[in-house]
Amino acid sequence: MDPKGSLCANSTRSSSLTSPVNALQTNFPSDPSSFYGVRIETPFKEFNLPSPPTQSVLPGEPNKDIMIPDQENCPLSDMSHASKLQDWNPSAMLNNLSFLEEKIHQLRDLVHLIVNKKCQPFGQPHELVTQEQQLVTADLTSIIVQLISSAGSLLPSVRHTLTNTNPLVGQLDQLHGINLPFGSDSSSGLRSQNNSGNKLLDQSTQNDPPNNCEMEQNYNMEEHEPKDEEDIDEGEHLPPGSYEILQLEKEEILAPHTHFCTICGKGFKRDANLRMHMRGHGDEYKTPAALAKPHKETGSEPKLIKRYSCPYAGCKRNKDHKKFQPLKTILCVKNHYKRTHCDKSYTCSRCNTKKFSVMADLKTHEKHCGKDKWLCSCGTTFSRKDKLFGHIALFQGHTPAIPLDDTKGVAEPPDLQNRESNNSVGSNNFCFGSNPSSENAVQNMMDVKGNIDDPMNYFSSLNFEGCNFGGFNEFSQPPFEDSEGSFSFLMSGSFNYAPKFGGGESSSDNLL
Amino acid sequence: MLSESRLCLLTEDLLIRILHSLGSERKPWRLVCKDFLRLESATRKTLRVLRFEFLLPLLRKFCNIDTLDLSLCPRIHDAAVALLLAQGSPGWTRGLRRLVLSRATGLGHAGLEMLVRACPVLEAVDVSHCWGYGDREAAALSCAARLRELNMDKCLGVTDIGLAKIAVGCGQLEKLSLKWCLEISDLGIDLLCKKCLDLKYLDVSYLKVTNESLRSIASLLKLEVFVMVGCSLVDDVGLRFLEKGCPLLKAIDVSRCDCVSSSGLISVISGHEGLQQLDARYCLSELSAPLVKCLEKLKQMRIIRIDGVRVSDFILHTIGTNCKSLVELGLSKCVGVTNMGIMQLVSGCGNLKILDLTCCRFITNATISIIANCCPDLVCLKLESCDMMTENCLYQLGLNCLLLEELDLTDCSGVDDLALRYLSKCSELIRLKLGLCTNITDIGLAHIACNCPKMTELDLYRCVRIGDDGLAALTSGCKKLTKLNLSYCNRISDRGMDYISHLGELSDLELRGLSNITSIGIRAVAVSCKRLADLDLKHCEKIDDSGFGALAFFSQNLRQVSYTLVLLSLNQVILILSLMRSKSHSSAAFESKLQHLLYKNYKCYLNEHN
Repeated sequence: MDPKGSLCANSTRSSSLTSPVNALQTNFPSDPSSFYGVRIETPFKEFNLPSPPTQSVLPGEPNKDIMIPDQENCPLSDMSHASKLQDWNPSAMLNNLSFLEEKIHQLRDLVHLIVNKKCQPFGQPHELVTQEQQLVTADLTSIIVQLISSAGSLLPSVRHTLTNTNPLVGQLDQLHGINLPFGSDSSSGLRSQNNSGNKLLDQSTQNDPPNNCEMEQNYNMEEHEPKDEEDIDEGEHLPPGSYEILQLEKEEILAPHTHFCTICGKGFKRDANLRMHMRGHGDEYKTPAALAKPHKETGSEPKLIKRYSCPYAGCKRNKDHKKFQPLKTILCVKNHYKRTHCDKSYTCSRCNTKKFSVMADLKTHEKHCGKDKWLCSCGTTFSRKDKLFGHIALFQGHTPAIPLDDTKGVAEPPDLQNRESNNSVGSNNFCFGSNPSSENAVQNMMDVKGNIDDPMNYFSSLNFEGCNFGGFNEFSQPPFEDSEGSFSFLMSGSFNYAPKFGGGESSSDNLL
Repeated sequence: MLSESRLCLLTEDLLIRILHSLGSERKPWRLVCKDFLRLESATRKTLRVLRFEFLLPLLRKFCNIDTLDLSLCPRIHDAAVALLLAQGSPGWTRGLRRLVLSRATGLGHAGLEMLVRACPVLEAVDVSHCWGYGDREAAALSCAARLRELNMDKCLGVTDIGLAKIAVGCGQLEKLSLKWCLEISDLGIDLLCKKCLDLKYLDVSYLKVTNESLRSIASLLKLEVFVMVGCSLVDDVGLRFLEKGCPLLKAIDVSRCDCVSSSGLISVISGHEGLQQLDARYCLSELSAPLVKCLEKLKQMRIIRIDGVRVSDFILHTIGTNCKSLVELGLSKCVGVTNMGIMQLVSGCGNLKILDLTCCRFITNATISIIANCCPDLVCLKLESCDMMTENCLYQLGLNCLLLEELDLTDCSGVDDLALRYLSKCSELIRLKLGLCTNITDIGLAHIACNCPKMTELDLYRCVRIGDDGLAALTSGCKKLTKLNLSYCNRISDRGMDYISHLGELSDLELRGLSNITSIGIRAVAVSCKRLADLDLKHCEKIDDSGFGALAFFSQNLRQVSYTLVLLSLNQVILILSLMRSKSHSSAAFESKLQHLLYKNYKCYLNEHN
């Protein structure tokens, strides 16, 4: 929705931009901020929330706005730049802006001149007019170029996708914002739009890791090779120096708690919990200000994007590495460090073979452990049939192994067992009919819960493949019955049914 | 003694040649002559065992066989196989190349694996209709690494896993039939096509495969015959894969593929102009003009079957003028077949051997006369329900088509005794269907009986004017009859049954609704017709317990008896069943069927007594 909104805003602006001089003159007295305000604020409520009164923040602002000669031009935009865009060079920017201002002044004078001349109807050699026009366009071009270059440095964190889709428009917005005194509002709004869009994106990617890591875990199970979740952010190519690198110490990373009470010393994993805890230490900690998220207030301060480095020397995630790839969040650091540089101390209690260093990984694995019922003759297991077949197609001489499940009705002909297990593709219970039913039930419950907790997971196809939802097992039952009904005409025999139904019952026993 | 001494003069080579030329008459020779017995046991290549009990001694005797057919021994089981391999001289397995286990449902995976492993040069296995077979059995089959042919029709339990086993284990597979293996999906087919690159024949009929499978199959470079009857998930997109693939494709069968249209066939044809066989029965409603245009390219086409399609004279003309080497044409139930169309067709296709005109009702005498004139090589002609024809056309047929082996005249009311007299000139007739030809009498049947000694199958369903005399003539002339349908020929009595008992080869007999025959007649049949395997006695109301007792006692090879609405006491049914179970070689499936019948009879019995 962000690109759409910006596009829509762009269209209005770019139309006015076609005649910047006119825009200067006509738009000047009007107050477009309200017009833009609607557009800016509605889609991004989040932007409203922290919005502190501009005045209160202004004093806290470093001396940048003082240096800007034209006050009306863009104090607000600057501020918002500052608040939202952490990494740019303020002094260079200042130079740019003052240069631009000079240029604009020159241009304005020139245009004024032309306008005045135009008032005199005669004595206007044609050559002169064209010369002037050329001059104006040349000036405008240089302004635009300058703007684009400065805007480029302004927008380091704008996603490639955003800028790539319509880079010019995005940059022209900047131009427009600076051209229009009141439009600065809108430009800042726009930028913050972009920014908040980025923020949203960033947040979503940062929120991703738990999900992603789970999905990756699924992959891991198939590939038997743990991968770092951090690989996800490899698409990000921040220029070196455009972010701040933090490096936590090993002890810090491995510490169970990161937030400690200054009064009693109790440790907490989350700051919010600490704040809740602090309430017990006195009324002064019960004020809304004390309970609010602390970074909201400091959010307006200029900050560089933070990226993290792994303290382990030689690691690709260590800042001294040649191809250093920073980690995005503290959580990433913790998981990365534990996975890559720590012992795997958590062992799966089911298979007793898989080990993990991150608890969450173990839990994810346990969810799927034992589901790899697609077995190759080489001993490799797969959670999905097509993966197994891909494996078999790849390797000479490998064949699928047929599991020996003689646990079910011995009187039953083997083929029926086969068919049952095939009909119940994806339902664990059929294959592990020997498991105590209570355990299965518990497992199912757990699975369902886990999946609901995590909506991404719930909808991810990977999970559906190995669907182990309690409800789904019940659904898989009727087709199996049906198919037998449809086969009955092919199997000339009625006596066979007895054991079959027996099998069905036993499996339903497992279900309940 | 005398004959033996004379035979001693001949060398073994000559004796073997004599033996081979004897053909089916070998049995009496080997029974009376030791030399022949010895020679036959040394040279016999195929063994088809009727009774499992005799298998062991037979295998001892004939240890040089390369084909063993156990399709009539459904009760063979794992322990028996273990016994065979342990006790019998294992010599017979050494040269065994072909194993027919069709309907051998009693055999489990363990026995199958033992059998397969014992035969080092096994090349072909037929396990069709072993409906209980699953992946384990498939795994057992995959032990035969040199397997080239495998028929797995209706192995209902075989899944992709089983197919993968076979695909990996039997990489030299050339011919594979997976008809009705309903559990097999695209994944299995894909793997098969990656592993068995030598496949020449593939049948995936009635599988739930999609276009993806055809994409895989198109990569088979040696595929010649591809059968996909009733694959309703495949459409023209899938056939388009075949356009570019399978360069050697000669025959394709897309019958009953509901989603296939003319454009799909066009793409197949345009990719394979050397196509020799095209089956598109009941999948198109009509042939589009571009498809007809495409047919012109198919100069090498030999077999076309387009049953159930709307055709026009133009289409038949196109086929007639372009497909000069056409041997078989199936137009069964086609709408729009006219005299003119057939004339234009046969004027071009003089080599036609098989022509199916079932239910082409507008065919008249003139057309059939032209067919008889133009196609002297005709072997099979099906004219069911062509009721506008009369005896005159059969005159032409009898005059010109002397090679005719099969003729279907079911429901052709114009056929009478005179027609049969004309027809009897076709002395090569093997199969004749005269069902619902109510005008024929014993006289017409006698003409056939006298002149067609090779007849093996005869259908006289509801030929109500046929009586015992006709059967007398028939059984004296057509000694080789194996299949006879006399249902609802009400005039037949026990005397007729006596005549029938002279047919020593008879294996399939339908006597439905013959209200005049009694247990005496059935007993005569049971005693003499040793090969009787299928017997239909529904609605034969005069047959009682003694008749069934005789059947149970004498007919050792009986596999299936239909006898609903026959008066039997429950005790007798139980007796019969126990006798049949103990004496016959009935399979598990058969037993279940009998039990099922028993249950039905029991209900009848209860109803009677309440």
